[in-house]
Amino acid sequence: GMAANKAAKEQKYDRQLRLWGDHGQEALENAHVCLVNATATGTEILKNLVLPGIGAFTIVDGHKVSGEDVGNNFFLSTNSIGKNRAQAATELLQELNSDVSGNFVEEVRAAGSTCLRLGAVLWNAEVPFLVCRTYGLVGCMRLVVREHTVVESHPDNALEDLRLDQPFTELKNHIDSYDLDSMEKKDHSHTPWIIIVAKFLEKWYSEHNFQMPKNYKEKEAFRELLRQGILKNENGAPEDEENFDEAIKNVNTALNATKISSTVEDIFSCDLCDNITAQTPAFWVMARAVRDFVRDDGNGILPVRGTIPDMIADSEKFIKLQNVYREKALQDASVVSKHVESLLQSVGKVCPPGYLLIMKFFKCVFIISGKNAAFLRVVRCRSLEEEYSIESVNKDEITSCMDNPDSEMVLYLMLRSIDRFYQQHSHYPGVYDYQVEEDISRLKVCVNSLLQEYGLSVSVKDDYIHEFCRCGSAEPHTVAAFLGGCAAQEAIKIITQQFVPFNNTFIYNAMTQTSATFQL
Amino acid sequence: MVQLVGPLRKELADSVSSCRVLVVGAGGIGCELLKNLVLTGFRNIEVIDLDTIDVSNLNRQFLFQKKHVGKSKAQVAKESVVQFCPKANITAYHDSIMNPDYSVEFFRNFALVMNALDNRAARNHVNRMCLAADIPLIESGTAGYLGQVTIIKKGLTECYECQPKPTQKTFPGCTIRNTPSEPIHCIVWAKYLFNQLFGEEDADQEVSPDTADPEAAWDPSEAAARATASEQDGDIKRVSTKDWARSTGYDPVKLFNKVHYTNSLFKDDIMYLLTMDKLWRKRKAPLPLEWSELQKQEEMLGGGLKDQHVLGVYGYSQLFSESVKTLSSQLAERGAGAELVWDKDDPPAMDFVTAAANLRMHVFSMNMKSRFDIKSMAGNIIPAIATTNAVIAGLIVLEALKVLSGDLDQCCTIFLNKQPNPKKKLLVPCALDPPNLNCYVCASKPEVTVRLNVSSTMIQTLQDKILKERFGMVAPDVQIEDGKGTILISSEEGETEGNNSKFLSDFGIRNGSRLQADDFLQDYTLLVNVLHSDELGKDMEFEVVGDAPDKAPTPSTQEEGKNITNGNKDSAQPSTSSTVPTDQDDVLIVDSDEEPSSSSDCGALKRKLLDAETGEAPAKRQRLSQQQHADNEDDDDLIALD
Repeated sequence: GMAANKAAKEQKYDRQLRLWGDHGQEALENAHVCLVNATATGTEILKNLVLPGIGAFTIVDGHKVSGEDVGNNFFLSTNSIGKNRAQAATELLQELNSDVSGNFVEEVRAAGSTCLRLGAVLWNAEVPFLVCRTYGLVGCMRLVVREHTVVESHPDNALEDLRLDQPFTELKNHIDSYDLDSMEKKDHSHTPWIIIVAKFLEKWYSEHNFQMPKNYKEKEAFRELLRQGILKNENGAPEDEENFDEAIKNVNTALNATKISSTVEDIFSCDLCDNITAQTPAFWVMARAVRDFVRDDGNGILPVRGTIPDMIADSEKFIKLQNVYREKALQDASVVSKHVESLLQSVGKVCPPGYLLIMKFFKCVFIISGKNAAFLRVVRCRSLEEEYSIESVNKDEITSCMDNPDSEMVLYLMLRSIDRFYQQHSHYPGVYDYQVEEDISRLKVCVNSLLQEYGLSVSVKDDYIHEFCRCGSAEPHTVAAFLGGCAAQEAIKIITQQFVPFNNTFIYNAMTQTSATFQL
Repeated sequence: MVQLVGPLRKELADSVSSCRVLVVGAGGIGCELLKNLVLTGFRNIEVIDLDTIDVSNLNRQFLFQKKHVGKSKAQVAKESVVQFCPKANITAYHDSIMNPDYSVEFFRNFALVMNALDNRAARNHVNRMCLAADIPLIESGTAGYLGQVTIIKKGLTECYECQPKPTQKTFPGCTIRNTPSEPIHCIVWAKYLFNQLFGEEDADQEVSPDTADPEAAWDPSEAAARATASEQDGDIKRVSTKDWARSTGYDPVKLFNKVHYTNSLFKDDIMYLLTMDKLWRKRKAPLPLEWSELQKQEEMLGGGLKDQHVLGVYGYSQLFSESVKTLSSQLAERGAGAELVWDKDDPPAMDFVTAAANLRMHVFSMNMKSRFDIKSMAGNIIPAIATTNAVIAGLIVLEALKVLSGDLDQCCTIFLNKQPNPKKKLLVPCALDPPNLNCYVCASKPEVTVRLNVSSTMIQTLQDKILKERFGMVAPDVQIEDGKGTILISSEEGETEGNNSKFLSDFGIRNGSRLQADDFLQDYTLLVNVLHSDELGKDMEFEVVGDAPDKAPTPSTQEEGKNITNGNKDSAQPSTSSTVPTDQDDVLIVDSDEEPSSSSDCGALKRKLLDAETGEAPAKRQRLSQQQHADNEDDDDLIALD
């Protein structure tokens, strides 16, 4: 039944649940991706999405499987030669995971400008678009998403949200319930360090005009104050109190001022936050609700996150302290939910048709206001049109990178020139042995015309032109496999709304094993 | 390099299709690697793996399907690849690469060896075999979103063992038995308890109170009296834990708190510990639990997966009881003398450890943990996904092509970041370092100095703990450089077993003695200088001089970093450890918004960045130091190269 199925999935996906959690997994299982063209790079990407359990995929491809395909694509076999490529790849990819629904569309061969046209359509439909390409020893990815909202950005060094500089009433009361001076030794050395810092901060305030220790010197002095608070034995030597050691170690964290980060402020000042309509996406309704909380209820700060780190303390004291934070977080979250409700009401979305959607919506509200308000991120990519248009090309990024003539940027310029070459000559440079020399000079013309057209005063070394002609347009499997791994990872970031995707172009050079990201 | 691309340069294409390569490991990286190799044109591939397929492999090891669970990884991987690429000529071995059948001669059959391993012991061994055979080796590993690849070539690059790696963290017996202070101590205890009750009994895995704890420090006469008393008990009451448990019919309530001072886990043992009052002057004393007093409480259930809930004490006592019943009936079904082997993926075994560890955590005033978290720590689980393995396996083959075309000078160590670092680099290639001249493995005359007590160190310890475990030998022969060539240990069965329980001093070994240890299989000779010492640290049997690994590396605060634990499935040592909380003291936080670089700081590790754009000096690498000691039980381990 359902429960058994759930347990089986839990077992199968155990290793990845440890990375993105069950809500990340749920997002993945509800996602449907479309792959246009089942090239080696394409099927490698899908393989890496099918294995972790993407909900469904659809391959669109009008090509027939060729011998060359079979040579570099693991998901096409000799006996599929001549068959439709979308169908053949779907059959083999489907075998990897029976939880995934595989579909295909046999579509006529796409013309050269398809990518730009598709880009425009998806941009308007607000569907994220990832363009991936393996050309010889170069890999390239371009993310095209008008706006991607990240709920859990998983910053590496996220600070704790302890509010010691502005304790809320319940925390203040809890701190007041402790009296370090009249404590037995055992209790003293099992008091959570958060309480210790809070207590000594009160002492510090009284001596320092109610100012927090700010600079290094003051923080050192504060640490000294903590050190003096350690109990002494009968000989006057300090006892071994690990909780005080922890307090001293955590001074920096503890004294960090509670404030709203500039990233979150930027989100609050977005137009989308101001003008909530019936069409506003859930993320922005929630962002606005959090902003309302900040302005109306939170005295200018975010809802409490509600989690505290592990620390030396006896269970009872720790759990009590934990509950103080947790309960405040729940309380704040319910205030945020009320704002969401009234925002929805104000645009007449009291009882929308999708009941389930609303349930999800509220679950999301809880996640955001309780834990992640500080970790919200918005990624906005430029459109392909902006990148390709002479008026809006990002000249600065290109020219500044090309100060180093061997920057990966040169590979980007080469790929653009190659496309130009293909448009003019209907083949890729160097594919026919007998006209390599001719192609070299033709490609040179393409490079120069590209640079000229865009008004880019940079130079591309001849070496690169020669190399691209000698390489041909092959799609070596191992480069495709590399790119397939990277691209699937980005797709998972987008689908799970966890981690920040790159913005917006990634170039990999397999000769030097280097990579770079550019904003184009 | 350019010519590699399709069509590969003729000579390279020829050598790719004609050469023979060895892939060690058919797990996460191994599956990807086999696919990449055959599709790059490699035709003669041998693959070895001793593991069988588990359900939790299926989220990334794409050559395996549900119907293959329980079968040999190497064999199924071969069959799957050949099905897709009938031209490939693949030989599969369902075996350990440390088996003596795979001699130096065997390794000489290959143009190149590629490791896709999951544990340090095997990595050490393959490193030595490749050095001895003078065959290039590509090392690799992944952990969550992170990964790395490097090349090892005798005489030209560092070998796998050139830089000391943090040794596995082990815990003193008395911490486990008397004074646990972290959840990991309780988890190790629970795993010991499993073995004591249902598995192979091991004297090093005692779970009852340790009366000889030096910290308990009774006055000597009292201590002597206690020791005598406990010895006398031995004849009458102190039967083995397993025998006793069996005699009770594995009654969970009796296991839990029945009066039998050596064996009741959560009540009487704890009350006994309380009598060792010195232990509790500075610590919070444990609180014994009484089975009959546990009340069913409303369990708070949040959303999410069942495994991620933390139950209450009552819940864990029920889980303890159920799992003991299941395990004891499993044991009974297997007949007399049977033993169970703990496996994190065996539900009742995992339930038992979850329950026992949590009850002990509760007794010692720690916050209990979910089954999901305990599984991570007890099973040394490193998160793993398809994407990272795909990236790393792609990189391996590109490096392999450079090796085969003789461009070793162009090879590098490549690190994969979780996301582009502030310099916008996802990949960080670093120049290969030359060999460490003092390496105890690849130096021309390897030599080490070991501090130990010659009159309390047994030959068995020298063999098992020092030569095998610490110095990675498989079957050492040892002679004393005393002019007579006295044989201390022979790898031939039956020749020197009589020496095992004698002490080094019994053979005239003293301060300054030199021992020559040979491993015939690895073609490796190590000279061991003995430094006698009466005063070694608590619970320390020996110490390698001049090789104290750097202090425990600072773990990351990132989520996956928390779960990364030490451990090694081939090791006899407790295969668990905890990470140390980040010392934030030296971290200057500028703004919480800055996405900090993963290669930011804190490394004692030097690496030359081959970064033409910045030309910058050594990048210190935090993330690898965080995890370099991670030898996990999974298939795709991050390797400790630095």
